[in-house]
Amino acid sequence: MKKSNKQFFIKKPLVLLCAALIAGVGAPLLRATVDDSISFAYEAALPYYKQGFSIRKDAWGGDLGVRERKAVSTQLFKGNTYWFLMATDVKGATLSVHLYDDKGNLVEAESWQKGRFAGARLNPKATGTYFAIVQILKSPEDRTAWALVYGYK
Amino acid sequence: MKNFPLLFVALSLSPFFSAVADIAPKKITLSDFPAAAVDEVVVPVPSEIFAVLDKLGNPNWKDQLNPAKARTPQDRAHTALLLGNVIAEGFVAVEAEDAEKVKEIGRQVLTLADAINVRKSVITRCKSITDKADMNDWKGVRAEFDGALQDVREAMDELNDHDLSQLVSLGGWLRGTEVLTGIVQKGFSQDGAELLHQPELVNYFDRCIGSMSSRLRKNPLVSHIRDVLRKIGPIVAENGDSITPENVKSIHDFTHEVNGQITAGN
Repeated sequence: MKKSNKQFFIKKPLVLLCAALIAGVGAPLLRATVDDSISFAYEAALPYYKQGFSIRKDAWGGDLGVRERKAVSTQLFKGNTYWFLMATDVKGATLSVHLYDDKGNLVEAESWQKGRFAGARLNPKATGTYFAIVQILKSPEDRTAWALVYGYK
Repeated sequence: MKNFPLLFVALSLSPFFSAVADIAPKKITLSDFPAAAVDEVVVPVPSEIFAVLDKLGNPNWKDQLNPAKARTPQDRAHTALLLGNVIAEGFVAVEAEDAEKVKEIGRQVLTLADAINVRKSVITRCKSITDKADMNDWKGVRAEFDGALQDVREAMDELNDHDLSQLVSLGGWLRGTEVLTGIVQKGFSQDGAELLHQPELVNYFDRCIGSMSSRLRKNPLVSHIRDVLRKIGPIVAENGDSITPENVKSIHDFTHEVNGQITAGN
């Protein structure tokens, strides 16, 4: 659900249309909350920007139920260091992001989780496809908007 | 204190605790994720790869700049490919720290964005590109090109031109790959060649074209690019450490040829 591609809103137009019909203004509200989550994700990325990481303008987001997981596949390059930062705008929610290689092995060098923010760092040992697994651990809401950004140096 | 282990066990078993615990499993089965839950591949910007090349050596970036001025094509698919190509060229110009070329590319981005009705989305970016190039703020210019890429794609998505948005990414990847192979060819190293190990990305672009409207799929340039991707695919599917100098040359020749068609206009 690549937010910048508006995948949620464009790639699934029928689903969205139905959602909008059922929920009235639900879709615009969800969009707003994903946008807010992106702002929080960039907030989480700020310290890394200050450390010299280039933070991608592209962001990924959507909404998940509690304990629901989602995989975002990404091409990473040996020689770079990456930070993946995830956030939600939902107060009281906690979430996590962890990084796996294409064989399903946990490969992150470190990770942290602090309230509505989470992060994971990776120094890829090989160039190739990796997966960021995002999850909502706890939330006062049924569906929780989330966003993921990453930076490299 | 005596009851502490019992309390711990009780907490561990409680739904609340299990809901908030963040213990990442050492191993997961990726096939457990339904296909729909695995999102499209994140397309890297050229500077992600260029950053590694800088660490591996001291590439001659000026040598990689394309001196040819791109002509605005007539058809929108071609224009989208060229727009991505030109933005990728912008990243090369940043690496070369060539302020004049950066500014020229900024203007080209605006012209091409205009041709596909997304000019408004990049006006501010293009002005920032010029301003930051004048100040030699290369990190800033790099961020603006990344932002321009996202802004035009977002604007296209809002116009329901999702296919064209993918072509912008593809055009950028093709030019980035041409430059990467150009540099690796000049001073072959296994670490450099390993950067080409991008099988999922190549498959992704192939799938993207496959899901486009038949009109776009039949566009001669798009169709030709798909053929090229299918030739590159098996090469980059090799393990990174088995990509040979000949493989690098092949990919360079493929991408050089197709980028020549993209920049030539109609």
